[in-house]
Amino acid sequence: MKAFLASLAVLIAGSVLFFKATDGLQALTAEGARRLAVQREAPMVSSFMLETMKGSAEPLPGAPGKAVMVEFIYTTCPTICQSAGGDMARLRDLVIAEGLGDRVRLFSVSFDPDVDDVSHLARYGELHHADGEVWTIARPTVNDLPALLKAFGVVVIKGDPDTFGGYEHNTAIHVISPTGQLSSIVDTDDFDGALEALKRTLS
Amino acid sequence: MIKAKHQPQEAAVKFTMLLAGVVLLLMMVFGFIMRAAQGGMIEIDQALFYQIMTAHGAGMVGTAGLTGISILWYFTGRYVPLLAGVFWTFLGLFLTGVVLILGSIFIGGYAGAWTFLFPLPAMSGGFWSNEAAATFLLGYIFIGVAFLLLHLEIARKLIAAYGSIGGALAWPLAFGNGRAENAPPPTVVAAMASTLFNVMGIVVGATVLVSSLVNLMIPDFAVNALLAKNMIFFFGHVFINASIYMAVIAVYEILPEYLGKPWKTTRPFAIAWTMVFLFVLAVYPHHLLQDVAMPAWALIMGQVVSYLSGIPLLAVTAFSLLVYLRQSRVMYWDLASALLVLGVAGWSIGSAPAIIDGMIAVNKVMHNTQWVPGHFHIYLLLGEVAITFGFMAWLVKDPREKGLNILDLAGFAVYLLGGVGFTLMFLISGALSVPRRWAVHVPEWFLQDRLATGFALLVILGALLFVVSYAQGLRKKRTR
Amino acid sequence: MKPPSYLVAILVVGFCFALRIPLEADPVSHILVQLPLLAWSGVLITPNGTGRRSEWNRGGVATLLVAFFTIIFWMLPRSIDAVLSSPTMELAKFITLPFGVGAPLAIGWARAHPLLRGIIKAEVVSMLGVLAFLYIHAPVRICNAYLVSDQHRLGYGFLFLALGLSVFWIAPLFIVHTKRAVMPTKTPATA
Ligand code: HEM
Ligand SMILES: [Cu+2]
Repeated sequence: MKAFLASLAVLIAGSVLFFKATDGLQALTAEGARRLAVQREAPMVSSFMLETMKGSAEPLPGAPGKAVMVEFIYTTCPTICQSAGGDMARLRDLVIAEGLGDRVRLFSVSFDPDVDDVSHLARYGELHHADGEVWTIARPTVNDLPALLKAFGVVVIKGDPDTFGGYEHNTAIHVISPTGQLSSIVDTDDFDGALEALKRTLS
Repeated sequence: MIKAKHQPQEAAVKFTMLLAGVVLLLMMVFGFIMRAAQGGMIEIDQALFYQIMTAHGAGMVGTAGLTGISILWYFTGRYVPLLAGVFWTFLGLFLTGVVLILGSIFIGGYAGAWTFLFPLPAMSGGFWSNEAAATFLLGYIFIGVAFLLLHLEIARKLIAAYGSIGGALAWPLAFGNGRAENAPPPTVVAAMASTLFNVMGIVVGATVLVSSLVNLMIPDFAVNALLAKNMIFFFGHVFINASIYMAVIAVYEILPEYLGKPWKTTRPFAIAWTMVFLFVLAVYPHHLLQDVAMPAWALIMGQVVSYLSGIPLLAVTAFSLLVYLRQSRVMYWDLASALLVLGVAGWSIGSAPAIIDGMIAVNKVMHNTQWVPGHFHIYLLLGEVAITFGFMAWLVKDPREKGLNILDLAGFAVYLLGGVGFTLMFLISGALSVPRRWAVHVPEWFLQDRLATGFALLVILGALLFVVSYAQGLRKKRTR
Repeated sequence: MKPPSYLVAILVVGFCFALRIPLEADPVSHILVQLPLLAWSGVLITPNGTGRRSEWNRGGVATLLVAFFTIIFWMLPRSIDAVLSSPTMELAKFITLPFGVGAPLAIGWARAHPLLRGIIKAEVVSMLGVLAFLYIHAPVRICNAYLVSDQHRLGYGFLFLALGLSVFWIAPLFIVHTKRAVMPTKTPATA
């Protein structure tokens, strides 16, 4: 009887711990936890100054009253960032088709500002048909970079030497509400999810 | 009568067999409904058809495993002392699993077939929820743990009594200069080999089951569909084959009472049993390392190997039985002996179409036709299940009566006729390329469907007679 | 002379701590070397026969459950990620693995029924298989701090560990224990 009670106590305590540690079985990975936390808490994002592919300065989050969608890339990426660029172009088209083109700003932000100078940004923009109107490519200052990545929960690590010395990072679209709150994180090819999140922040 | 060192766990096994008999009948009725629906004789909702098919598949395979391991447990109990509580725990876990599975099917609407092939459980197109699929998989896990428990108890006791796995498998006789007189009895060899075989299958099965469960709850953890398919087929084949390997122990133990001489462990016998699992062990692991698309030959070979590994065993068993039968002067027929001999015959005959299907040229045409249910219904319905009914008849046999009474004879005849006709219709349909697992058939296929429905009714009638006479026998034995 | 086991334990923990940066740089050494070593140090500091008579821990079930839940917690990818970004979690790791896994495992295992041990061994092999399966094939990155290729290597690490453990556990059963072996029972005679 004692043994049964003890086991039962451990069982309950262990299950509670596990439940807590996974946010109610919803997130087993740090990435899942990050998305869940953003959805629940919608934290404020402090403002960063970016340099765009046109060479001009622009704040992130952007002008008040405008929602923002951001993804993080590096332009010399041979793989994911290129398909993410394609996804972003598609998303831009969808946003315009929904008539939301003037209520949202799309950024692809480089986390490799050392290499990605304005000409690199412009080349990437050209490749993916970003004209700077609704969607622009930009970079932070080297000093701002760590704080910027931390604010969004993005982790960048050096990749294998044989993958062209690139980076690996959690690729996603981050939606910021017009009030400057990070309200949602979705996969780059989850267009429905991104649009839905956008509409929610605009309504 | 048998002089054994220990007492088998009689009451628990008798109770289990009664349970199994009733479930077999119910599942047969499910089969009958499916066949009648395919023949356009009754109309049922298609979603319900697939629920019934799922229940029939899982229920039949589970019951075959249950009866097989009960036979193994019963007779192994003659040679080593087994913990009685383990069997009751087994039964409790097993029945919990059954409740979960039935609930997931008939309450949750799960209808992804007993093979739960990825990604079907997760993509029901709205027919069932992820929770229902998860409950189904959880039910399997319960049943897997239950089997594991029994096998571990058996392995532990056999190893203790015979010194090592090799000792229990009669390796000194098979590969050394051991003498037949010193070899362990056939039951011990069979119990040890099927235990190893089944534990391997269950461990692989648990891996793919839990992976599928994680995938259901967290879709980000995708599973590799091809590898999952391989593992599921490995697990499924091992489990269903093991049920026959375990059940055949009843032949080794019961028929000697009729033949008047013991079934002996010979060198070919020992080698055949070792091959059963060595073959699988030797061929399969390379599949588990492969993460590129698998060539078709590897897939087919993997599935077929689990059959082929049993062929030497089948040959040795069937051949010995023939020799014993011809030599014996005291052999007599009653329900038990007739069903046991039928079981060996059904097992042998049912394996032939499997081998044909295994040939790649044929497989291209036959695969996924009703040829497949055709062959496995032969070795299950006329093999494993026949042995099961034979074992049940023997359990309640009245030693004062020798021979077949008229009801026994009727039951046996009806079961045999129905079984042969029913499975033949599957084979014919298969040869005509009628696909398996279709709820609705076109009128061109109705003829075999309808004949099969009639034959199925005969099978059910025969099985009903067996179960009723078993239940009566239990009552009589108690009052005697 | 054999060094006292607590000394070995201290050395092991010290090793894990001193080399934590290189060990944690690669998930394979992090998860398949450092974590097991820490748990092992817990086994080392548990004197033989600890809690052998406690009614609360009959059959070792309660302590085995403690170990189980602690292991489950550290199997969560997000726990591993957290270790790399938070010193508190790192500290928690160094405490909970010896005291939450190693020690209770040692206490519970000593009292566990042979059948329970068998079940646990089989489940360990299965679960390593599950991890291998998921890590080798997961199309997404499971840990933010590690590369996808690392993740694959880790998956293979789990696979080889599973195979190794099954051989390690099964092989001895093939060796004849002459002491235990009884005269083989003959086929029962019919009368
Ligand atoms: C009266 C006896 C039986 C009848 C009428 C019957 C009928 C059927 C039918 C109609 C199917 C579906 C065929 C198709 O795919 O088109 C089926 C499948 C199956 N049956 Fe039976 N059956 C009987 C006995 C058994 C027995 C004794 C077993 C095993 C011990 C068994 C195991 C299975 C299995 C595993 C399937 C495959 C299910 C699937 O495809 O997912 N059946 N049966
Ligand atoms: Cu990239």
